[in-house]
Amino acid sequence: MRSRRLLAVAASAAAAAAMAACGSSPAPASSSSTAISFNDGSCGAAWHLASPGWHTFEITNGADYGAEIDLTDPANGAVYDELENIGPGTTAPMSLNVGSGKYAFLCMVEDFDPIAGPTVTVGGHAAGTRAILPVTYNDLYPPAKQYAKYTEAGLQVLAGQTAKLAADVRAGKIAAAKRDWLSAHLQYETLGAAYDAFGNYDDEIDGRADAVGVNSPKWTGFYRLEYGLWHGQPGHELTAVAVTLNTNVHKLLAWWPTQQIPLIDIGLRTHEILENALEFQLTGHDDYGSGTTLATTLANIQGTRYLLSLLHPLLAPRYPQLPEVYSGLNLLQSLLEKEHLRNGWWVPVSALPASAREDIDAACGQVLQELAPIASIAEPRHTLHEF
Amino acid sequence: MSSESAEPSQDGMATAPDAPVSTPGPARRSFLRGMVGGAAGGVVAGGIAGAASGYAYGGSRTGTDPAGASNLAELQGRLPAVPFHGQHQAGILPEPKAATAVISFNATAQSRAELTELFQTVTDRARFLTAGGTPPPVGIGGPSSDSGTLGPAVVPDGLTVTFGVGSTLFDDRYGLASRLPPHLTPMKSFPNDNLDPAQCDGDLVLQLTAGHEDVVLHALRDIAKNTRGGMQANWRIDGFSSPARPAGTVPRNQLGFMDGISNPSVKSPPELNKLVWVQPGAAGAPSWTAGGSYLVVRLIRMFVEFWDRVDVYEQQLMFGRYRDSGYPLDAKGIYATPDYAADPTGDVIPLSAHMRLANPRTPQTADSRILRRAWNYDRGLDPVGDLDVGLVFTCFQQDIKRQFETVQTRLIDEPLVDYISPFGGGYFLALPGVADSRDYFGRALLA
Repeated sequence: MRSRRLLAVAASAAAAAAMAACGSSPAPASSSSTAISFNDGSCGAAWHLASPGWHTFEITNGADYGAEIDLTDPANGAVYDELENIGPGTTAPMSLNVGSGKYAFLCMVEDFDPIAGPTVTVGGHAAGTRAILPVTYNDLYPPAKQYAKYTEAGLQVLAGQTAKLAADVRAGKIAAAKRDWLSAHLQYETLGAAYDAFGNYDDEIDGRADAVGVNSPKWTGFYRLEYGLWHGQPGHELTAVAVTLNTNVHKLLAWWPTQQIPLIDIGLRTHEILENALEFQLTGHDDYGSGTTLATTLANIQGTRYLLSLLHPLLAPRYPQLPEVYSGLNLLQSLLEKEHLRNGWWVPVSALPASAREDIDAACGQVLQELAPIASIAEPRHTLHEF
Repeated sequence: MSSESAEPSQDGMATAPDAPVSTPGPARRSFLRGMVGGAAGGVVAGGIAGAASGYAYGGSRTGTDPAGASNLAELQGRLPAVPFHGQHQAGILPEPKAATAVISFNATAQSRAELTELFQTVTDRARFLTAGGTPPPVGIGGPSSDSGTLGPAVVPDGLTVTFGVGSTLFDDRYGLASRLPPHLTPMKSFPNDNLDPAQCDGDLVLQLTAGHEDVVLHALRDIAKNTRGGMQANWRIDGFSSPARPAGTVPRNQLGFMDGISNPSVKSPPELNKLVWVQPGAAGAPSWTAGGSYLVVRLIRMFVEFWDRVDVYEQQLMFGRYRDSGYPLDAKGIYATPDYAADPTGDVIPLSAHMRLANPRTPQTADSRILRRAWNYDRGLDPVGDLDVGLVFTCFQQDIKRQFETVQTRLIDEPLVDYISPFGGGYFLALPGVADSRDYFGRALLA
C-alpha cells in the first residue's frame, strides 16, 4: 500500500467532514449528487449522469479498514479526483466537474488488492475536471536514487570546504575564513536540506539562534560561525565552532548513505525549499552578519532546479504550467544576481531599495504559486496495474 | 473629522449580478490562474442563496432611520451580493459596512502586457468574490483553489472591491506617462501632517469592504494569491464601522462623535455628476478616466487618551455638534442644517469648528464638498502604551484639488489638530466601473 500519511488522524477528520457535509451543501447548488458505497469486495455500483457538469459523489467506505478511492479514466488510469484516508463506515464527498468521457472508481482498502468499479460513460462533448496520469512509486525510485547520489556528492564537496574553513579559522585568517564560510554555506544550501531531510544534523549544521539565543553554547553550525566571524569574536571561540561544524558535516556524510528518501518528499521539496527561502532568507531573518541571504536564495534555487530536472520527464506531460515554473525561476534568479557585488559579496536584504525588494518578493511568491501543484501531481500513487 | 452630513440613503441597485461565467482561456502567465493550480481558468458560478437576488443597500429606509437598515442587516447576518458590473465601481456610493481594508500595492508586472493581465485578474477575482459561489475543486492537480476560510462556498456578504491607480503607475515602466491624468498627483503633506513615507501612496490601491472581517480578509488572500507576480503589497490598514448607537443615528468615530453625517446625496445623479464622478470631456480628464472618481485615503491617528481628558463642552465646540445626539449646536435634529448666517461671529458654533470649516454651506463652497467615507482603525499599542487607534478616512470626488485639498486647507490649524495626527494614505483614481463580463478594470487606460 502507499504510504498512508497520518491515517488515524485523517480518518477521524474525514469522519468529521462527512458529518459536516450532512448539515450543509458544499457543492454548487446546481450540481447533483450520487451515493457510492464500496467495501473490500466491491467498488460501487454503476451510476448514471444525465449530462456532464458539476457533480458530487457521496462516497461511503463500507469496509472495516481505512481506504482510498480514486475516480479514474479506465483507458489509461489517469485520475480525475481522489479521496484519501476515508475511515471505515464514514462518508465523504468528492466534487468535480464531470466532463464527457469514461469513468471508473478505483477502490483501495488497506491490506486488500485494489478493485476497479464499473466503467460509466458520460455523454456529450463537454470538458470537465482534467484527469492526470498518476505518478507511481516505480516512476519515483530512479529520481530518488539520483537525488540521493547528488546529495552525497554535494556533501563530499562540502566536507572538503568545511575542513578548509576550520583550518583557516584556526590559523586566524579571518578574511579567508569569511570567503570559505560563504562557499561552504552556499554549497550546503544547494542540497535542499529544508524540512528535516538531514534530521538532527540540519539543526547542528545550519540551526538558527531563535530557540536558544546567540550567546548559547548550544547554538552551533554555519549561522553560529557567521555570527562570530562578523561580530569580531575571538579566535579560540571561533575555532571551536568551526571544528564542530566540520565534524558534524563529516558525520552527516557518513550517515547519509544509510538513509532512504521518502518518495513523497521529492515532489514536496520542489516548493518547500523556496518556501523556507521566502520565510528566512528574503526576510533577512537568517542574516547573522554576512548579508548573504540573497546568495542563499540563489543556492536554494539551484537545489530546486536539480529536483525539477529529475522530475521533468514526469511533470512535462502532466503539468501544463511547467514552463512557467522555469520562467519564474529565471526571473527570480536574474533579480537576485543583480545584487551580487563586484567584490564577491552581496547586497543585504536590509539594504535593498524598496522597489528591488518588491520585485524579488513578488517573483518569489509567484514562482511558489507555480511550484505548489507539483507536490500534488508528483505524489506517488498506486494504479490498478502497478500496486 | 467632519461630521458632515448627509443624505444617507442610497440608490437601490436591484439588478441581478451577471453570472461569473467561466472562461478558461489559453494559459496566461502565472498570476492569471494560480488559483486553480493551472487546471482551469474559470470559477463556478453562483449557488449562494441571495447572491442572485440583487442587493438594494439601504433601499427601504425610513426617513428618520437612515442607517438603521444596513446596521440591522449587519447585526443579523450576512449581506446579499452587491452587483459588480456597472458604469461606476460599486464600492464608492454605499455607506461604510462593518469591515474594510485598504491595501496599497506597487506594480511588479514586468511589462505592459503583464500589467494588463494583472488588471484582468483583479477583475476576474473581484467578479467572483463579490457574487460568491463555490470555488472549483482541482482534483489531484494542486492545492485547493480557495483558502476555505468562509467554508465550502464563498459568501458575498455585501463585498465590494474598489480598485484604483496612483500617480506612480504612470512612470516609464509601462509606457503610461502620457496618460497620467493632470489631476492625479502624489499625496500632499499639509502643515499638521506627520506622514510616514512607508505608509503613503502606491501604484495601485484596493479597498475591500464587507459585512464581516473574515469576508474582507478572505478576499484579500484570494486576490493576493492570484496576483503574486503582478503586484506587491506596500501598506495596509484595516477598518471597522460601528453600528449606529443609538439605533437610527450615525456610526461614531473613536472620538465619540458621529462621523459622516453630512454628505452629498448619493441618490441625486446631478449632484454626483457635479461632485463625485469624473465627467467625460471635462478639462484635465482624459477620456479613460470618465466614470471614475478620485479617492483620497488619509490614515489619521487619534490621541484618544488626551481626548478623553478634555471636557465634553470643549470637544463639542471643536466639532460644532453635540457629542451624544449628533445635533448641530444651534439646531434640533442630526440632519438639520446649521444656520451660520444667523451666527456670523460664531457665538454658538465657533468659526473654527470642524464642521463649519469643512462645509461652510455657502454657494461658493458647494463645489468643494466631498463624499466622505470613514472607518475606525485599531492597531494595538504605541510605544508609550497608549492605544493606536484612529480613522481610515476616505473620500471620493471629481477633483482632489478643488475638493479635498480645498477643504483640508480650510481645516489647517483647526483646534482638533492637537488630538489627531495624519500619518499615511494616498491619492488615487478609482477606475471607471467594469461594464460587463467581457470588460475589465482599466481597459480604456491600457488599450
